[in-house]
Amino acid sequence: MGELAGLLARWLHLGASVFLVGGASLLWLAGPSDRPTARCWESWILTLGRALVLVALASALVAVAYQTSVLEGQAGAAFQPRAIARVLLQTRGGTVWLLRAGLLVLLAAFLVVRAEIRDRADWGAIRGQLALLGTVALALVAAASHAAAVEPGTAAAIAADVVHLAAAGFWVGGLPALALLLWLAGRTAGADARPFAVLAARRFSRVALALVGAVTVSGLWNAWIQIASVAGLLGTRHGRLLLVKLVAFAAMLLLASFNRRLIPALSGDAATVGRPAMRRLSRFVAAEATLALFVLVVVAAMTVTPPARHEQPTWPLAHRLALDNLTAAPDLQSQVLVGSQVVVIGLVALLASLALRRLRVPVLAGGAVVVVAGLVIALPPLVSDAYPTTYRRPSVPYQASSIAEGQALYGEHCAVCHGPRAAGDGPAAATLQPRPPDLRAHHVALHTAGDIFWWITNGRPPMPAFGERLDTDARWHLINYLRALAAADASRLLGPTVEPEQPWLVAPDFTFTVGPEYSRSLRDYRGRKIVLLVLYTLPTSYPRLVELAEAYSQLGTLEVEVIAVPTDAAADAIRRLSQGALIFYPVVTDGSREILDTYRLFSPARHAEFLIDRQGYLRAVFAAPGDARRDPNLLLADVQRLNEEKVEPPLPAEHVH
Amino acid sequence: MRLWKAVLLVDLALALGVGAGYLWWGQQARRLAADLQTARALATTAGGEREYHGTGVVRAGLGDIGILVITHGEIAGYMPPMTMGFRTTSPKILDSVKPGDAVRFTLRGTPPNLAITAIDKTAP
Repeated sequence: MGELAGLLARWLHLGASVFLVGGASLLWLAGPSDRPTARCWESWILTLGRALVLVALASALVAVAYQTSVLEGQAGAAFQPRAIARVLLQTRGGTVWLLRAGLLVLLAAFLVVRAEIRDRADWGAIRGQLALLGTVALALVAAASHAAAVEPGTAAAIAADVVHLAAAGFWVGGLPALALLLWLAGRTAGADARPFAVLAARRFSRVALALVGAVTVSGLWNAWIQIASVAGLLGTRHGRLLLVKLVAFAAMLLLASFNRRLIPALSGDAATVGRPAMRRLSRFVAAEATLALFVLVVVAAMTVTPPARHEQPTWPLAHRLALDNLTAAPDLQSQVLVGSQVVVIGLVALLASLALRRLRVPVLAGGAVVVVAGLVIALPPLVSDAYPTTYRRPSVPYQASSIAEGQALYGEHCAVCHGPRAAGDGPAAATLQPRPPDLRAHHVALHTAGDIFWWITNGRPPMPAFGERLDTDARWHLINYLRALAAADASRLLGPTVEPEQPWLVAPDFTFTVGPEYSRSLRDYRGRKIVLLVLYTLPTSYPRLVELAEAYSQLGTLEVEVIAVPTDAAADAIRRLSQGALIFYPVVTDGSREILDTYRLFSPARHAEFLIDRQGYLRAVFAAPGDARRDPNLLLADVQRLNEEKVEPPLPAEHVH
Repeated sequence: MRLWKAVLLVDLALALGVGAGYLWWGQQARRLAADLQTARALATTAGGEREYHGTGVVRAGLGDIGILVITHGEIAGYMPPMTMGFRTTSPKILDSVKPGDAVRFTLRGTPPNLAITAIDKTAP
């Protein structure tokens, strides 16, 4: 109930604001005229304008009351003036609301000022002022919209939204005003204003063409920022609303291009040709305006749904297109390549048909056939099965504590069939048809985390469903563990020295505490320091730890932190290390269990060192079964290599993808 | 006065008003930030000699220069957790603890010129 009132208020407010902008702008664009019918139209627009200001202010009040009830978390707050005042004075949305309401009141004042058409400067100033105030009030919406919550790039997102609102306001809002003028001039009594109406329609048409371009470009930019993926477009409410909006927008464009063609017919003989054409055009423009009203309903609904990039998409189809299929099956690459080239040839033919006079239809048909044929060749290798959760983002980040939990769960529920290290060689595997696959290399790369989530939840015969037995977090723990297994498998390609400019393996995040310090995460070093993670076993590792301690001040100047993790997970690790040598780097006293569970997948050696670059990628693994001593200059050279790297790879995603 | 001049004046006033409001807001924010900074500085330097308490783990004692290296937790009102060396006021303090000991200690002096005046072991 309240939700519906909120939506209705937003729609009314948006519609009133848009029509104010469009009406005032068209009035100004058409210019002053002393014809009685034109004067009649002007007074109609002004009267409507006063009503629209009232509607805009009243609906804004309802909208802010509804917003208050949402923010306060109770429906009753919508009727408490004190709560509403709090929202108005203490939130950014409230500031914008007050500014806009002020502008609308000022606009109302200008609506009652009389403008003499004999004085063109005065008339232009008064009517232009209406358009200006209306546009500023409408564009200010952007400062408290979804665009204002984008980060980074807030300014660009708001700018795009301002352009979108202002351009759409003029175009969409101008339609009913134009329809009214054409209708008035199309009556028998309106003959005096027909040249004026033709002039207005021409000017509007010219400006609207440019504005439709601006609306399209800024709208695409907005959609890119707020939705950003096919999954978001098809799989979230926000995205689907956008699809509806796009369909209605396309219908409007079709009508608009049709209407543009009618305009030349207007200037025929005023009495016989002009009038029927004018009445027809008036009806079509009114139809366009009605469609616009529907688009505004969708827009109002979009402003109250969270943007797609914040939502978990639910994939509606049974298939998806995945380019990753080609990395797994290189022999299909040529087929896709040939298919895509055929598509390009078809598209060229389609474009050429637009330029041709003769043979247009056969070339068009031929081009379409070639495009379809190309798609038939190119697409099949790219098609993958998909599930509702395919694009779901994990709710648990890829970090050691989750991986350790996943490992325990795996041992309990999965190892019987899938084998202790997920190679598909568990004791029960032989009895199953089909046999469990090797989950390490192939699978994790080919399927999204959401695919695996679906299989664990719903089963995949002969595998049973675990949705009832394991809660959501537990299922994500398992997936994080599988990802770590695959990463560990791939990490065999890493040597003890850094390969320059080759970051590709994300180091799982972990959290640790050193004595009484607060706990820290590997993430905290991102963008600041290189980390050398040392898993050590006493006494064999001791000489190496002393070597590192001696080099520690030098490593510090090269922006390296050493984090030592005892493999016996002893709480008194500091005491046991501190006898004799001066070791000042962090020695983990709490959190080592999870770190060991995770990083031992990468190297089970008694002493292992992992060099992790500033972006959080694992770059080198040094493992020593016995004496771990190693020339410290080798480490310094590796660090130097990392410090000299020019390419900054993107920070790795926090989640499996 | 001509009407269009009046409109222009209204717009100018509007623009000036909004601009002035924005500038005033910016200045207010800057002044608040400056006030906060001076208040913080006063809180740490004023009043001459001060005393702080902390807990930590001894990493090393550097007897020849009278410094104790401690990995400590947050020292309320003075310093976030870190590993660093502190001066000690007497060799007895240095000798009373060994590396690996969990300790509670007292710092006294005029910041940033502080030294450990007392230290106790909290666990064997």
